[in-house]
Amino acid sequence: MKKIVACYKWVADEADIRIDEKSRALNFDRVKYKISEYDRNAIEVGNSLKDKYSCEFVAVTCGAQVESSLKDVLSRGPTNVYYINDEILADADGGVTAKVLAGIIKKIGAVDLVICGEGSGDEYGQQVGPRLAALLGYASCTFVTKLDLTDEGLMAERKLEDGIEVVQVQGPAVVTVLPDINTPPIPTLKQILGAKKKPTTKLSLKDIGLSRDACAPKLKNIGVLGTVMERKGICMNIDGLSIQEAAEKLAKRLSADGILG
Amino acid sequence: MSEDRFDVIIVGAGPAGSTAAYILAGAGKEVLLIERGDEPGAKNMTGGRLYGHSLEKIIPGFAQEAPLERRIVKETVSFLTSDTSVSFDLQSELLGSGGKESYSVLRAEFDCWLAKKAEKAGAILVTGIRVDDLFMEEGRVKGVIAGEDIMEAGVVILADGVNSLLAQKIGMKQELKPHQAAVGAKEIIELPGEVIEDRFNLHEGEGAARLFVGDCTKGRIGGGFLYTNKKSISLGLVFTLSDLQSWEKTVPEMVEDFKHHPAVSPLIKGGRTLEYSAHLVPEAGYSMIPKLYGDGVVVVGDAAGFVINIGYMVRGMDLAIASGEAAAKAIISAHDVYTTQALSRYRKLLEESFVIRDLKQYSKFPAFLNNKRIFNEYPQLIAELMTDFFSVDGSPVPPMMKRILKPVKKVGLMKVASDVWKGVRAL
Ligand SMILES: Cc1cc2nc3c(=O)[nH]c(=O)nc-3n(C[C@H](O)[C@H](O)[C@H](O)COP(=O)(O)OP(=O)(O)OC[C@H]3O[C@@H](n4cnc5c(N)ncnc54)[C@H](O)[C@@H]3O)c2cc1C
Repeated sequence: MKKIVACYKWVADEADIRIDEKSRALNFDRVKYKISEYDRNAIEVGNSLKDKYSCEFVAVTCGAQVESSLKDVLSRGPTNVYYINDEILADADGGVTAKVLAGIIKKIGAVDLVICGEGSGDEYGQQVGPRLAALLGYASCTFVTKLDLTDEGLMAERKLEDGIEVVQVQGPAVVTVLPDINTPPIPTLKQILGAKKKPTTKLSLKDIGLSRDACAPKLKNIGVLGTVMERKGICMNIDGLSIQEAAEKLAKRLSADGILG
Repeated sequence: MSEDRFDVIIVGAGPAGSTAAYILAGAGKEVLLIERGDEPGAKNMTGGRLYGHSLEKIIPGFAQEAPLERRIVKETVSFLTSDTSVSFDLQSELLGSGGKESYSVLRAEFDCWLAKKAEKAGAILVTGIRVDDLFMEEGRVKGVIAGEDIMEAGVVILADGVNSLLAQKIGMKQELKPHQAAVGAKEIIELPGEVIEDRFNLHEGEGAARLFVGDCTKGRIGGGFLYTNKKSISLGLVFTLSDLQSWEKTVPEMVEDFKHHPAVSPLIKGGRTLEYSAHLVPEAGYSMIPKLYGDGVVVVGDAAGFVINIGYMVRGMDLAIASGEAAAKAIISAHDVYTTQALSRYRKLLEESFVIRDLKQYSKFPAFLNNKRIFNEYPQLIAELMTDFFSVDGSPVPPMMKRILKPVKKVGLMKVASDVWKGVRAL
């Protein structure tokens, strides 16, 4: 029985991020987290291969507050989720994340196929998959829009700028998938209830033999500013002006501001 | 207990559903609470004031732990014409004490907290799932259907809110008619806490409730409301749907006009709108109560029409909580036999509680409110009267009685007298 792993990142839901109008700083106060959209495709690939070939299928994640993601991911098909939750991973870059994921995957052992999203929903660095392949000594296969298992490995279609490439991989591989590969279904009531009964496996950095120093990111994010649309809050038909009059007033105002030629 | 069966399935994690789940799980029942929103409260809206009495009975001292915004210590009712506002103001320590406490709340936080309480008591909460139908066998409710899944239960509680499609599907309730519902629309406007305390004359933690009658609904039956939260203001309108056809403005336009009214705009100045939402309010009160229970099913909260809407105030959350409690108690005492007969205790408990008593008390009110003078002529009358009292421009001052009667006569003395009489009787 082949062993498949899907990796996912627990990211801030971009819909909840607010931008301070004055400083343009991002405000994460009311932010909820979710499984990164592209990773949902990766999870669904694993899930459908599990159903098709009765493979063993588990999920893997790491981060600073990933515990709230576990029930969600388990409702999407995997039979277990292996994770490391550590504050130090709050600033992890792609390099650190790949090291931690590789450690967890080695710990699971004898994994035939690792599936990741092409990039994460928040930073879209596109590094974790290929780095993971290098660290594990697996083949790396990116931009995948179609995937099937073979006796020796896998067959994949890669969507490139100028066409589709069909590749055959011998032995274990790390595959990164594009959103075109499938439409992840929304978990059903029974899947959500079933997830509450599945096991989870918590690991620590120590368990995978990674020192805290090794988790220092080489790439640091030193600032993000949002774009803001300036609103003047002017209301044209406030004193009961007709639409006609208000439109004329608006046109005058816009040309006075030099917006209309 | 088999995989796919629970003692009780509750549809909807609003105040009614979560309260029932909390009590039932606490009594050792296997409870499944299903909410279609991604989080409880995610899609819910309310004016924003919770009268604390019914929850206090169930979770004593809840105010210490619940995410409440401010304790209301100040009440203001304002009558608006397009350019004038006449307000009655009550500020009293007595308002916020002795079992009469009320609090401004934001549903996203409050509903989550209450659902988590139910979860901690042992209920299983599932979010992001919509119940599509009830699972029926031999004419009785045996569970729920969501997508492809059937989940069985001894009894199902319908706590799915005002437009309960499930209660309609099994014929417990008719489809809502326009005169049985009002529409509410509201914005949450962000302002710093200190600004709110300065503007409304409040100490930290204290809150103000303001209600508006008249121009804000353009004379239509309904009213405006404003509640102060910790760092935001809930501002909105509620008005009847019965004359929907004759509306000239859309609901968002009416809210926008309300925000620009001279009595309102200084209160929200500099604030930023975080959220706009609209929702129905059941309105017909006592006369609209549907069938409340059947074989294997009970209906609670808004789904059962338990709302008191008397124009200047909407009360539903405390009734939702109390009806959730009554349903839970009836189910516990039914000892796993959920026949119509056994569940009839639910109605009995409601009748012994304030829920049915208060609904009856206000049962004539919807008809009384149907009098448009309250929303048109009277605010105008009061505004003229007061403006007259306070206007000094050197012209001769007529005698007091004449000054009062002048605007009253415009409406008609007999009409005013009869409306006052009807209003007193309706209450
Ligand atoms: C504008 C406005 C102002 C109001 N002001 C106040 C006020 O100041 N004070 C007050 O006490 N009351 C007020 N109310 C009334 C109060 O909000 C309601 O009475 C109260 O929310 C009812 O609670 P509930 O639990 O019965 O229903 P809801 O709070 O409506 O909860 C129903 C829940 O069921 C879920 N649901 C629905 N269908 C399904 C389905 N098929 N499957 C799964 N889940 C489903 C919904 O997502 C929702 O979470 C106001 C209402 C409005 C609209």
